[in-house]
Amino acid sequence: MSVTDFWTPFELNSFLNALFIGLSIASIWLIAAVGLTIIYGTMGVINMAHGELIMLGAYTTYVLQTFFYIPFLLCLPLVFVIVSIFGLFIERTIIRRLYNRPLDTLLATWGLSLILIQGVRVIFGTAPKYVSIPGWLNFQVSLGFLHLPGFRLFIILATAALIFGTWYIAYRTTWGIRVRAVMADPDMASSFGIDSNRIYSITFAYGAGLAGVAGALFGGLKTLLPDMGSGYIVEAFLVVVVGGTQLLGSIFSSIILGELASIFSYFTNDTFARFVLFTLIVIFLRFRPQGLITEGMKRR
Amino acid sequence: MSANIYHNRKAQWLAYIGLFLLLALVPVLFDSPFLLNQLARYAVFAMLAVSVSLVWGYGGILSLGQGIAFGLAAYGMGMTMQMQFQDPVSDPVPSFMLTNDLSTLPLLWEPFWSTPVGLALTIAVPTIFFIGFGAMMFQARVAGVFVAIMTLAMLAAWYAMAYDMQPFTSGFNGISPPMPFEFAGVSIDPYSPTAYLICVGFLAALTLAVKLLMQSKFGLVVQAIRDDPERVRFLGYNVAYYQVIVFAISGFIAACGGLCWVMVVQYVSPTSLELTLSVSAVIWAAVGGRLSLLGAILGAYLVNGLQSYMGDELQDVWMIVLGSIFIGVVLFLPRGLVGLIEDALGYFTGKSETETATVAIERTV
Amino acid sequence: MSLLELRNVSKRYGDFAAIDGLDLTINKGELRCLLGPNGAGKTTCMDLIVGRQRVSEGTVRLMGTDIAALSEHQIARKGVGRKFQIPSVFKELTVRQNLEVAFNRNKDPFLNMLSFKNFKGMKRYDEITDLIGLKDRSNTVSGLLSHGETQWLEIGLVLMQDPVLLLMDEPTAGMTEQETYKTSQIFNTLKGSHTLVVVEHDMSFVREIADVITVMHMGKLLAEGTITEIENNPQVRNVYLGTEGIH
Repeated sequence: MSVTDFWTPFELNSFLNALFIGLSIASIWLIAAVGLTIIYGTMGVINMAHGELIMLGAYTTYVLQTFFYIPFLLCLPLVFVIVSIFGLFIERTIIRRLYNRPLDTLLATWGLSLILIQGVRVIFGTAPKYVSIPGWLNFQVSLGFLHLPGFRLFIILATAALIFGTWYIAYRTTWGIRVRAVMADPDMASSFGIDSNRIYSITFAYGAGLAGVAGALFGGLKTLLPDMGSGYIVEAFLVVVVGGTQLLGSIFSSIILGELASIFSYFTNDTFARFVLFTLIVIFLRFRPQGLITEGMKRR
Repeated sequence: MSANIYHNRKAQWLAYIGLFLLLALVPVLFDSPFLLNQLARYAVFAMLAVSVSLVWGYGGILSLGQGIAFGLAAYGMGMTMQMQFQDPVSDPVPSFMLTNDLSTLPLLWEPFWSTPVGLALTIAVPTIFFIGFGAMMFQARVAGVFVAIMTLAMLAAWYAMAYDMQPFTSGFNGISPPMPFEFAGVSIDPYSPTAYLICVGFLAALTLAVKLLMQSKFGLVVQAIRDDPERVRFLGYNVAYYQVIVFAISGFIAACGGLCWVMVVQYVSPTSLELTLSVSAVIWAAVGGRLSLLGAILGAYLVNGLQSYMGDELQDVWMIVLGSIFIGVVLFLPRGLVGLIEDALGYFTGKSETETATVAIERTV
Repeated sequence: MSLLELRNVSKRYGDFAAIDGLDLTINKGELRCLLGPNGAGKTTCMDLIVGRQRVSEGTVRLMGTDIAALSEHQIARKGVGRKFQIPSVFKELTVRQNLEVAFNRNKDPFLNMLSFKNFKGMKRYDEITDLIGLKDRSNTVSGLLSHGETQWLEIGLVLMQDPVLLLMDEPTAGMTEQETYKTSQIFNTLKGSHTLVVVEHDMSFVREIADVITVMHMGKLLAEGTITEIENNPQVRNVYLGTEGIH
């Protein structure tokens, strides 16, 4: 192997194409990370089973399509509801007992992810499953040298819509105000009659639902395997942490990380790009452990 | 007030030494190469669990990156063993490199011609990496969840590296040295009592050293840092310095594990850098009891033993069982299985006030 | 001779100045009370002295040397001990182990690896546990102590450090009347042999212990004097005590 094989020289058109791929990667990481951001940001819960919730979303879509013949677009809200309910169940049985013990939630949800992966493997087997996307999304946009698969474009739009919806709920509804009150100070919020337990339950369910939708969308991109979730979890976490566990931060960080990943892999290759990116993230966190967007220092 | 014998230091030392003597007696009692090899693997896993117990249980640093040291050392050992097989004149380049279009031995591999240098690098590189990585994190006062995430990212980076650098590491396929490890003219068959005893010897020496260390003033300060780093800082200690040392020692232990691992399996691949292994080590320590080195060891033996002997029909649901055990331990047994032993001994030999430490422990992390 | 000297010290967060040109001198052997309404900058002032936060302007001198640029553990080694507002002790360690950690003649980790001494029969240990009243509880895990006992244990930790200057942030916060009384006795024992700066809200406690009081307001020094002077200072009455007077 020589250096020239390893290092792709710069060429404008394909580089621009790489930038677009970066945006596409960013939208996928972002949509995988939104639910995680909300859950971590609101409750301080490190949900290692988030990737498995994505996987459940994908398999739910598969089941809805294959056995109930439900069209893809209708699957999205259904998957949201179904995975939310499952999220609610997890919150009530496991997460609730571990508030204020973030590292323990990390461990318990890791255990949960093992159960979910194997559970799905037992039910559906190890053979890959597929989600079919509607024919009208099977187009290709060609803008000169740029080639965008229609479904990728759809994912970018869907991500934007979900982010906007989440932002709207968080900042324009009373519900969102309550959630943010609990985030700021749970004790104070409860003294104003806000039931923080209920807020947590529903926030977790909402975050889980978003993971489910992400899974439904990923199902259209990739084959479904029981352990597909583990492919998203590391990136999703890095997006959340680099962003500073806030919605806006996650948007920035996913775009920056997605573009960097795409640019690095343009010059080298996918796995080496991962190495460079992860190392950069570690160095970044060393200098800004609070992420892109800051909060104040604790008083004692 | 009679004290719980669990907290009696002499009794603790007796229990540790008793366990290691028992493990050392296995080759005398059973004449089964397969069993010895399997138990040698468990001993390696136990080393990994001890490294987690030290860094997390005592140091309060949840590292999901113990596999970095393990994996780097495993590659170092794999390279050392591979080069023992190669001949400088007739066959200087491992065959997987030739198939990857490398006709000369890369510079990175050159030092591994010498077994002592190879072994030294196998242990030194991961330890030095942990010193550097730890210094970087702890000087910036990264703590708690962020340490977990940063070690996770670093592990994922090394995994990608091992996977990607195919001409140097044989990528996904991994390196399978054709011959057992040879040291000072003796070939160490992975299925021999020698290999087994080396693993148990490493485990015993490292565990007892850590136990002694944790009884020193250093160990006390480390545990104080776990409880409240800022308080320790204002008592005049350089907290980051202490944390780096604990982290580096844990890396050193994991590296010893990686070395022994390749000795007993004669194979190294990116799986040793997978997240699964690192988190499994955390699971073993948590199940056995992370606040006790002995607990971590028991956890590693029990979980792995359970997996091996659960029967074929149950293998399908093994991960479900493991996941459930783990959730159960996190929720209901924060001190792990040795916590039960602690309570039982307390019941028979008298309760001490330390007993009720559970309250405090549940609060940590 | 002045032990601690703050000259023209400021701490700004953006446009907001938490401490604004503060001058403060503490003499050796003195017990100084720091008063002021919430947000006056008392805790920030302590943070600046111990290096928990960095000064934006001005100098902090301890026995003549500028310590503003040193890190927390270096300042602590120079002999500054700090008790926090929210009591912080090592909850999983016993009272004895807590004090062992605080006894820190030797801070090098490698030397400490070789140290296996314990405290049996050590004079200073006995004196301090006597003073803070935790002699019988030396084997208790400190997470099990009551709130008041935890406060005393933290005072014990700071004393164990053998500091030249003790900073106490609301040592009686959350204490019962009896506990407060006992704490004032502890402080009166320390008076003279130690130099103390105490932030306190509880006026009856301040009356028990104080020689000189410094009142802060909006990050500035408002008044300094004996308890009677302060009580009769119209400015102080105005900003801090309001119409209620000192009670």
